[in-house]
Amino acid sequence: MSAALGDDPRWYQRAVFYEILVRGFYDSNNDGSGDLRGITAKLDYLQWLGIDCLWLLPFYQSPLRDGGYDISDFWTVLPEYGDLADAVELVEESHKRGIRIIADLVMNHTSDQHPWFVQSREGRTNPKADWYVWSDDDTRYADARVIFVDTEKSNWTFDAKRGQFYWHRFFAHQPDLNYDNPEVAETMLDVLRYWLDIGLDGFRLDAVPYLFEREGTNGENLPETHNYLKRLRKEVDDLYPGKVLLAEANQWPEDVVEYFGDDDECQMCFHFPVMPRMFMALRRQQRHPITEILSRTPDIPDGCQWGIFLRNHDELTLEMVTDEERDYMWAEYAKEPRMKRNMGIGRRLMPLVDNDRRVAELLHALLFSFPGSPILYYGDEIGMGDNIYLGDRDGVRTPMQWSPDRNAGFSRADFAQLYLPAIMDPVYGYQSVNVEAGLRNPSSQLHWTKRMLEVRKQHPVFGTGTFDVVSTDNPSVLAYMRSTRTVVGGGAASRGEAPDTVFCVCNLSRFAQPAELPLQRWEGKVPIELLGRTPFPRIGELPYFVTLAPYGFYWFELTDG
Amino acid sequence: MGGRRDRQSATVNRELVLGPLPPGVDAMIPAYLGRQRWYAGSAEPGDDDVSVVTAGELVTTVAQRRLLWARVEGEGARYQVLIGERPGGEPADFLGGHDAEVLGAVGSKYYYDATLDPELALALLAVVSDGSESAERVRPVSAEQSNTSLVYDDRIILKLFRRLLEGANPDVEVTTALSEAGFTRVAAPVAHWRYQGQDLAFAQRFLAGGSEGWALALTSLRDFYAASSSDPAEVGGDFSAEAARLGRMTAEMHLAMAAAFGVERRALAELWWPALLNSVEERLVRVGAEVGGGLPGAIAPFVGGLRAVGDPGPAIRVHGDYHLGQVMRTDSGWYVLDFEGEPARALEERVRPSSPLKDVAGMLRSLQYASRFVLGERADAEVAALVPRADAWEWHNRDAFLGGYRQAGGIDALLPGDTPTWSAVLAAYEVDKALYELDYERAYRPDWASIPLGAVTRLLASTGQR
Repeated sequence: MSAALGDDPRWYQRAVFYEILVRGFYDSNNDGSGDLRGITAKLDYLQWLGIDCLWLLPFYQSPLRDGGYDISDFWTVLPEYGDLADAVELVEESHKRGIRIIADLVMNHTSDQHPWFVQSREGRTNPKADWYVWSDDDTRYADARVIFVDTEKSNWTFDAKRGQFYWHRFFAHQPDLNYDNPEVAETMLDVLRYWLDIGLDGFRLDAVPYLFEREGTNGENLPETHNYLKRLRKEVDDLYPGKVLLAEANQWPEDVVEYFGDDDECQMCFHFPVMPRMFMALRRQQRHPITEILSRTPDIPDGCQWGIFLRNHDELTLEMVTDEERDYMWAEYAKEPRMKRNMGIGRRLMPLVDNDRRVAELLHALLFSFPGSPILYYGDEIGMGDNIYLGDRDGVRTPMQWSPDRNAGFSRADFAQLYLPAIMDPVYGYQSVNVEAGLRNPSSQLHWTKRMLEVRKQHPVFGTGTFDVVSTDNPSVLAYMRSTRTVVGGGAASRGEAPDTVFCVCNLSRFAQPAELPLQRWEGKVPIELLGRTPFPRIGELPYFVTLAPYGFYWFELTDG
Repeated sequence: MGGRRDRQSATVNRELVLGPLPPGVDAMIPAYLGRQRWYAGSAEPGDDDVSVVTAGELVTTVAQRRLLWARVEGEGARYQVLIGERPGGEPADFLGGHDAEVLGAVGSKYYYDATLDPELALALLAVVSDGSESAERVRPVSAEQSNTSLVYDDRIILKLFRRLLEGANPDVEVTTALSEAGFTRVAAPVAHWRYQGQDLAFAQRFLAGGSEGWALALTSLRDFYAASSSDPAEVGGDFSAEAARLGRMTAEMHLAMAAAFGVERRALAELWWPALLNSVEERLVRVGAEVGGGLPGAIAPFVGGLRAVGDPGPAIRVHGDYHLGQVMRTDSGWYVLDFEGEPARALEERVRPSSPLKDVAGMLRSLQYASRFVLGERADAEVAALVPRADAWEWHNRDAFLGGYRQAGGIDALLPGDTPTWSAVLAAYEVDKALYELDYERAYRPDWASIPLGAVTRLLASTGQR
């Protein structure tokens, strides 16, 4: 392992992640589609930005009917993306720069073109016959909801060849693997070992709640699924210490924590509901949508961490908000019906906030200071837009905009050859919104983001500290303390980090706001603003008074002065 | 800090040693009272206007300080006074900016409102809780009118009743009863201190991180008045989802009230409803004579419509002073505070059962007030153009609140039977409340009198159309 990576086995608690669509990042061979060598070529940029870990969307062999989440061969790199040697080179070059890489792994299902399924549907007696979930009728597991309600009517689809129905929690072309078959369970462990052996630093496990099916249940979060994850984790701990498993379980936080187990399942889980709540709080101009969800977020085991994000390659997930709030989010953020997808909204960050840089910055400030490790979505650091007229979720998967050159500097292929057209509208088009322009302009969103990440890195407490809301009468103001945990033998304290307290105060309103904050517990401390290192007045015995610009925020280090 | 109490001191904490106040202190009390917002008498009461009824010392373990306590009679009402005593010399830091709360010096001792002294305030929590609670830190709640409240560690709020009532204080009584009835939307009682049948102080869980309903409504209104859309449902700061949840919580409160205090089936129809109508009519006639216009002519049809109501429905114990300032939005939903009732009404009237629509009317009046209050923040030239928005916001949230209220299962059993009666009873309570507000505004804030007056005119006009 490269020395640049350090030796902290819990690196993921303080890391900043960056999600990359391989196809959309950079095209090294001018065939119109991004590839692994393209990512390698851009590692210096990612290092400059301050990224600690890349999360690659699936790069395996696939018919690409679902963005690569329909894998047809777990052992092979999709040829358009490169080959195994390219993957090894990417890992090595990343590690040299102190950047880790995790990759998506779809455990729950395969493509219907996977040789396993091709063989399985041949008949009921072949060696792969029992690798998928087959049934003579479509009435079993009736309590399991249909997730992709826009396209699928049932979780069962009839296969004429075999004369049976097969089970699929997602698209009909993605049959679920049968984890009750020990061969399947063992083979998927082999897949994991294979990619860890070439140097990957972990996996983002796609759709983990659905691995097993049981009659009379909704087929989510079953004990059998947890037992299998424990088995995965033990394998990682025994053979690959320091590698991380990140679970995608789109559930309420009190249910998601099950996937941490007793720090014996996944080290990381996504915190889904906090994200729509951040957007909602900004619209409502009051803190309760956020504080409500954070207050119902349980503590997690010491070695674990939340993954939090503003946007990703999927829609803005609304499964976790109430019906009434979902209607509201739809009404507010998706004024055109085309923007609605499944249960969410398919937009990038900047269009979601009406291109208001102040709101985008405040959202990032929240993301970087909330409990969890932030995950950026490629292009959001330069304020990229989307194209809602592209099908499915492609609107937010357009080429990364590197420069004002042809094809946004993403590829030298013919325009018509691109996997998707680059954004060209007058507001978000690559002529103005691109990395090169961001680098040249010191006041760009790109430079701002880099500076924020630098400051965040100076205070590991953002990743590992406690989170306590500070009361204030003004509902538009959200104030909170991040403090080093003092648990004996646990967290940052055990790594010898100096005690640290960062005080954050944010204005969620579009108008300037005052706030009186009861900081008497920190009486005598001098708050130092973290971006400019400006000392603020010492905290006294009276409430601490701050004024905030519209969508303004401060991060203060509390010092002895 | 003196926050931690050991077992030994806890056993002596509630001890009140009766005895006269130190020499010279009695004489400073009238002037001190006159400077307090919670004192209802004159600004400069004379020595003859005020007398100490009972006095003593609360035993604490705070070194070099004493916590003195007195009940005083001043111009017809009784008050509770807590006085700190410390050695003279340098005035304490905590008294900075609080000249009004300082009584003064006598000899080598210095006397001041004890709630300002963090150590004595911490000791007071031990007194009230009989030693079962302690805290590290305390801070006062600012801008209170009739009581003094202290927040301990963002965990407990202690309300010190200043104006004392004979018998149980309704806030203590109702909060405790609702909490015991399993209603979770009140701040749970922690301890209360009663002496000789009078409630002196009440400690409850502090709703940390909560926002007052009034502040949330103003946030929504400020957003709406500056928005590009004139439809309150379309703007980001829409309050209607909160209003609906508030309505639902209000209905749950009423159901818990009915469970805790019972339901009067006939008394409203036979006694209080006719009395309410007489009072409303009398005040309407007076106001109508003063303002003229179309108002006098609208009174008879309006009151006539109310008198035609056969059965105004059941009566229950209600909040009595229900408005946006009495509800808190917390991270676990809405909570209701302060069951003391309208301070200007007699206690007997405050605890009298009424239709739950009285509270509903109170909240609806508060929504109108909020919409007009924010209008008052705008430049004069803008106001005329914004009035339709004020109306739109009010009606949008009124509908949401009523919708949430009526959705609660079982609430219909506490309401008048049919919709026309329902509307008439609600209108009666709204007019009653608006007339009360009108008197208040004319006395204290004449510029605001147009808000309740406009509401009265509108209510009479709309009922005339019915």
